[in-house]
Amino acid sequence: MPAKSRFTRLDAFTKTVDEARVRTTSGGIVTIASLLIVLFLAWGEWADYRRIVVHPELIVDKGRGEKMEIHLNITFPRIPCELLTLDVMDVSGEQQTGVMHGVNKVRLNPQEQGGGVIDMKALDLHVEEATHLAPDYCGDCYGATPPQNAQKPGCCNTCEEVREAYASVSWAFGRGENVEQCEREHYGERLDAQRHEGCRIEGGLRVNKVVGNFHIAPGRSFSNGNMHVHDLNNYFDTPIKGGHVFSHEIHHLSFGPQLPDDVIKKIGTKSFPWTNHHLNPLDNTEQITGDPAYNFMYFVKVVSTSYLPLGWEHNSDIMHVSSDHNVDIGKYGHRHDGSVETHQYSVTSHRRSLNGGDDAADGHKERLHARGGIPGVFFSYDISPMKVINREERTKTLAGFLTGLCAIIGGTLTVAAAIDRGVYEGANKLRKIQSKNL
Amino acid sequence: MNGFAAHGLDEDAFGEKPGNIVQAFDYFPKAKPQYITQTSGGGKWTVAMITVSCLLIFSEFRVWWQGQEEHTFAVEKGVGHSMQLNMDIVVAMQCQDIHINVQDAAGDRILAADILKRDPTNWGQWVDNGVHKLGHDAHGRIVTGEGWHNLEHDDGFGEEHVHDILAAAGNGKKAKFGKTPRVRGAGRGDSCRIYGSFFVNKVQGDFHITARGHGYQEMGQHLDHNAFNFSHIVNELSFGLFYPSLLNPLDKTIATTPNHFHKFQYFLSVVPTIYSAGRDIFTNQYAVTEQSHMVGDRSVPGIFFKYDIEPMLLTIEERRDGFLRFVVKVVNVFSGVLVAGHWGFTLTEWAMSVWGRRRKSYSDGVLTGKASFDD
Repeated sequence: MPAKSRFTRLDAFTKTVDEARVRTTSGGIVTIASLLIVLFLAWGEWADYRRIVVHPELIVDKGRGEKMEIHLNITFPRIPCELLTLDVMDVSGEQQTGVMHGVNKVRLNPQEQGGGVIDMKALDLHVEEATHLAPDYCGDCYGATPPQNAQKPGCCNTCEEVREAYASVSWAFGRGENVEQCEREHYGERLDAQRHEGCRIEGGLRVNKVVGNFHIAPGRSFSNGNMHVHDLNNYFDTPIKGGHVFSHEIHHLSFGPQLPDDVIKKIGTKSFPWTNHHLNPLDNTEQITGDPAYNFMYFVKVVSTSYLPLGWEHNSDIMHVSSDHNVDIGKYGHRHDGSVETHQYSVTSHRRSLNGGDDAADGHKERLHARGGIPGVFFSYDISPMKVINREERTKTLAGFLTGLCAIIGGTLTVAAAIDRGVYEGANKLRKIQSKNL
Repeated sequence: MNGFAAHGLDEDAFGEKPGNIVQAFDYFPKAKPQYITQTSGGGKWTVAMITVSCLLIFSEFRVWWQGQEEHTFAVEKGVGHSMQLNMDIVVAMQCQDIHINVQDAAGDRILAADILKRDPTNWGQWVDNGVHKLGHDAHGRIVTGEGWHNLEHDDGFGEEHVHDILAAAGNGKKAKFGKTPRVRGAGRGDSCRIYGSFFVNKVQGDFHITARGHGYQEMGQHLDHNAFNFSHIVNELSFGLFYPSLLNPLDKTIATTPNHFHKFQYFLSVVPTIYSAGRDIFTNQYAVTEQSHMVGDRSVPGIFFKYDIEPMLLTIEERRDGFLRFVVKVVNVFSGVLVAGHWGFTLTEWAMSVWGRRRKSYSDGVLTGKASFDD
């Protein structure tokens, strides 16, 4: 052996010279077992390293001037499309009455006939345009102000325009009896012919991201001063038995784009049974009533949510959605790096008859409902100041993985060595005792 | 480490059984006993190492056993309808003079008085019966001693740990409100205890206690203004299932006023919360701010609780890592100590020998001069 220098003495990795080494069966078994354990643990560590978790964060939503998209798909089996109106109102004072852009009314067969689709387009009762009229014809508006977008300024040439004119001065219109234009277009008969039909409202609309409500109610709506009024004549005054009712089924209601299914699955793996990450609570709910004068309310609280996948770009500022406000309905919120800006919501539903009364049927006779109002389905939405960011992350960095690996190998081997040593010493002792006894 | 070494010439020399293949895998260096020296320094180090590793493993075990609390949140699932409200309030007025109603954003009016129990009682029985010690906190509110503790960190309801909350919540049996103590002395009692549970719509609402004839339009109902006294003690005000032992911010608080026309307002933000440690309880916490002032003759005096429900659901989960993970940790600690101990031993040995030689060489140096530099 060479002369020991100071550092030789410092050698932590002391080696036994081969001649002095002992190999035992127990040692071999311990070695193999420890190797297997190391492999198993290392594999676990590797899996842990490769795993992507979705880490939720809660921040205050600092976005400004954002818009929000409402995607809806609701079936009303017992109200014809002609009677339904979708209005959106918010606290900023913006009103969209009779919203049509992006929203389709689908005419459905009566329920008794299976409820199949009749017509997929945005419905227009007035297929017959008044083209055969004399060129200098100017329909009477019956005292109402002619609509600004009339075909001929100052005139009400079609039934639609008369209705428009009536609505603008807050007059009830009814079925159009004694209105020449409507009788010519057979508005009343057409309406009656559709009475048995159902309607599905589907599509999307874009609203300001402020507290507001949207509702689906019968009849043309108009604003009377501060009041929002619906012309309910045609709804209540119906020849069909049982009248129209606001039974409805919500197939889908979401505020913003839907996350891809695999992403939902990824988030959902560790979620609890009482949370619904990105699943809309109102999807596939059905409410049934037999009373025409009935009002359904949904109180929705909207929470902004963004989803950032692993490769999202840090430079696109998450605080300010830079999405172009002019993109098509349905595209809003998706960004090219795969991140999604959307909303989750929690909801409370409430239903009451317009005649007031108590909730004795549900066992709450102390609960008195308000009286009056408009029949329909009302969604009032409130925007939460908090924003959830679901960020995909790796649980471990490479360095962390390597550290873990070293810890596993080192730890296991050291402890195995100690065990082996113990077994060896124990066996030696035992042998000595046995030899003494002999 | 090759097979030859194991199977070859050494076998007979060491007097072992004919080697098998497994033996060949023995990686761990063992020396024959005759090559091993045992030093007392090494023995001390071994003892120290064992002590240290025991200590570390013990603390590791404690951390593991305690588990960790994980706070998560999510937007609440499902379509909500109603929510239970539990209350136990003593108001310094006659029972028949009090109206209790809820008015909410859905337009409903809930006649809570029909559901809640109202018992006549004496104000003094609630304030001075030893449970409530008189004293004032920073807000001028009388602290009743039992109330809200200011823990540095708590998970709600004044408790520090989830399992404490679960223990306080009880075993899931339906809890009942305590009985009203019998009215002492003459008369029917000067106060009214209102208690019970009822359901409200799960929307923003206003729950209020007002005087008969004031606030709601009723014919021929007018109460003498001198009978107004909206001093009150809140024994319990909670949302969700009734867990009497969980302390909410308003529980066991008292607010008094000398005025007849006084308006107490509480603004509550209700946060649905789930505590989970083995089993789950679903309850609601709330944050509250209060405000009270004298009002004019034309306004409505009373006690108003305005509540709103937050869309976020909190989950506080106490959980423990898997046992395997703990074992791995123990193994790591143990082996780390082992290796570190070995190093320490080697280092001290080396240092001692160097130091010893230095000293020796130094003492030698006195005699032989430069000889010490040879090393």
